[in-house]
Amino acid sequence: MGIDDAFDAFQKTVNEDIGKTRLARERRDLFKTALLSEPDVVETFGSGSLSRSTQLKPIHDVDVVIVYDPDEHPEWGNDGPSAQDALEYVRTQVNRLLSQTNGTHANEVRHTLVRNHAVKCFLDDPEDPEAFTVDVMAALRQEDGSLLIPEKLNTRWVPANPEYLIGQVADHQRDWPHFRPLVRVLKQWRLTAPVQGGIKSLVMEVLALNCMPRSGNRSQALKTFFTAAAVRVHEGVWDPAGLCGQIQPDLDHAGLSDAFADAADLAERACVAAAEGDTDNALRLWQKIFGDDFPAPAAPAKPASLITGTPALITPRPIKDAPQG
Amino acid sequence: MLILIPQDAATTFRASGAWGRLSLRISHPDDLAVVGGISEGGGSIISVDPPPPAPRLLAGCDSRPTGYWYQANSELHALWYLLRARRGTSMKLDAFKDAVPSGFKTPGDGGYVAITHAPGVKDAFPESGLPDLVAWHVTRAGFQPIEASAEPETTGIRQLGGHWPVKELQNTRIMLVGAGSIGSATAHALAGYGVGHLTLVDPDRLDWHNLVRHTSARRHIGRHKVTALAEELAALRPDTTVSALALDVIEHADHIRALLADTHLVVCTADGVAPRRVTGHLARRAGLTAVLACVLQDGALGEILRLRPWPQHGCLTCRRRTLAEAGGLDPELALDAGYGTGTRHRPMTAVGSDLHLVAQLAAKTAVATVLQRAGHPDQRLPGEHALLGLRRQPDWAPPFDLGHTAELRWLPATPPRSGCPTCEAP
Repeated sequence: MGIDDAFDAFQKTVNEDIGKTRLARERRDLFKTALLSEPDVVETFGSGSLSRSTQLKPIHDVDVVIVYDPDEHPEWGNDGPSAQDALEYVRTQVNRLLSQTNGTHANEVRHTLVRNHAVKCFLDDPEDPEAFTVDVMAALRQEDGSLLIPEKLNTRWVPANPEYLIGQVADHQRDWPHFRPLVRVLKQWRLTAPVQGGIKSLVMEVLALNCMPRSGNRSQALKTFFTAAAVRVHEGVWDPAGLCGQIQPDLDHAGLSDAFADAADLAERACVAAAEGDTDNALRLWQKIFGDDFPAPAAPAKPASLITGTPALITPRPIKDAPQG
Repeated sequence: MLILIPQDAATTFRASGAWGRLSLRISHPDDLAVVGGISEGGGSIISVDPPPPAPRLLAGCDSRPTGYWYQANSELHALWYLLRARRGTSMKLDAFKDAVPSGFKTPGDGGYVAITHAPGVKDAFPESGLPDLVAWHVTRAGFQPIEASAEPETTGIRQLGGHWPVKELQNTRIMLVGAGSIGSATAHALAGYGVGHLTLVDPDRLDWHNLVRHTSARRHIGRHKVTALAEELAALRPDTTVSALALDVIEHADHIRALLADTHLVVCTADGVAPRRVTGHLARRAGLTAVLACVLQDGALGEILRLRPWPQHGCLTCRRRTLAEAGGLDPELALDAGYGTGTRHRPMTAVGSDLHLVAQLAAKTAVATVLQRAGHPDQRLPGEHALLGLRRQPDWAPPFDLGHTAELRWLPATPPRSGCPTCEAP
């Protein structure tokens, strides 16, 4: 199996099943359509990783942003109780439109919870740990195109611009078709990285935006990414739109940098091995980075020699005596 | 003799017809000539001198009708290659005449110089590297090859494209604080790596005593070092844009701070503790890495410090205090009172080439830092603090106890210290 074939095969293990992705999109679109029919709603759009096509499986939730007409809600946008009021309003509206018992638009929502920024709408049994939810966020459009969204715990409205990240990811993808698939690969990689406290998936996505090249093959791109990210993570990972600050202030920056550096070492060796035609060794090195789901090289053919059990002889590459001056 | 064919002349040959006349500017002492004019057939000779700055020959030697140029078949250029290898060998004139389809001129007693253009040579001899423009001495007795060099379409750092990350470095902006002995060599080294934009900051003027260690020539005595350096780099490395600022990093800190918004990395080769501290402080506040280069112990030790604006990496002061507390470094409180009577410079016994060695390492550190951040794993450095033995001396305290001259030791960063006004958030 060649390197490209191996990446293709590995990608299939990372990607969510197309049927489940389609179902998630249908459920999201149901909310968008239902709420857009309301007279005080100006626009609706999907947010989160599904809208950027960088979602990791399993898809537990999708995000929907509902932009309201400020003239219909003149008190919204001001710090104070209006933040929670807005979320409660959304909850009531969703229940009226989509409640399983008496929804006027459809009967899908079994339960709703008001969270800090959004209303979490359960479409499955809330007790099910795999329950699928749609997170509905209220928003007001500002003059510069960004949004104001309610924050219940701090009773205030905070700026955000999820469309900026959607646009950035789409732009990168237009330049280089491996981008979105590799973001999913990196999000998968983070789950096994030896980093204290875990890594938010958005951290990986923003680092990918900043460190992934816009051309070349996947091996070279990952080598570049791991090398650059090992440096950039020390600088903090910030909201690309410049509105929401650091994405994970408590991130173990040093630990993640070390993990990236280790991966960069292996990726560099894998690229060298591949360039020298040692595909098997390259596959083994990529497997060390991504785990057993990355295809292993085929088992070696039975040796013709009667001598068996000889360990693989790995010798350092000799330097050519070709002086330059 | 070597015949140089500048870009405009080469373009004219390649675009012209079958033959024409030729003018050369010839320097007999140098045994060198430059193509100065070309005609199409028997028409008048048109100048193909390149635009200013003109090569020295163009100013010093008149352009004289000297010979002819011909379009030739590819085999003639293969012959040129073989005859060059067999020095002193000539061929009978008929072979040359046969290789030139039209316009051939029979030589007189002294012969003439001919340049031939073989447009099909790359297709006829792929991978051979045979040039499409070569030169000959054509006489009645026969013809011999002459060394010729046509200016390639691409010169400068872009020649290395595909082998070196030219694009990333051409887009890189580095500020160099200190344009003295180490600084001037660092500027040359950075430009040599292909850094596209250099901002030089130094208030000093080139003085007599600088000449022994500085890269600038005597003719710049009295000028600001940054001005002289910018002028020299413009001539030597035109791929690097240089801004020369005769400013003091301490006195003009506000000006420098504003410039850092448009800078990717800062290199400091300034003398004295205070400018180094200020540079490190400004860089850290701007979120930039600073690379500090100097020599210690009167030039016996070279030192490169890479100060990254990271939470776990302390600033210059923090690192110096850590080293001092470990017994490795004498803070040298009287440092600023050295250099004879009253200037802040210390008497320096290092020779220029040792300082330039440190400068090369500083430039390498800076470039590697930029490239690692851009994702080049082959540019990772082994640490944040390099010590280079220039004149080994026994019994220095660790980590300065280098065993041999030219030994290079890399150390890790040290963390910030509590209460540091640079490392802690303002």
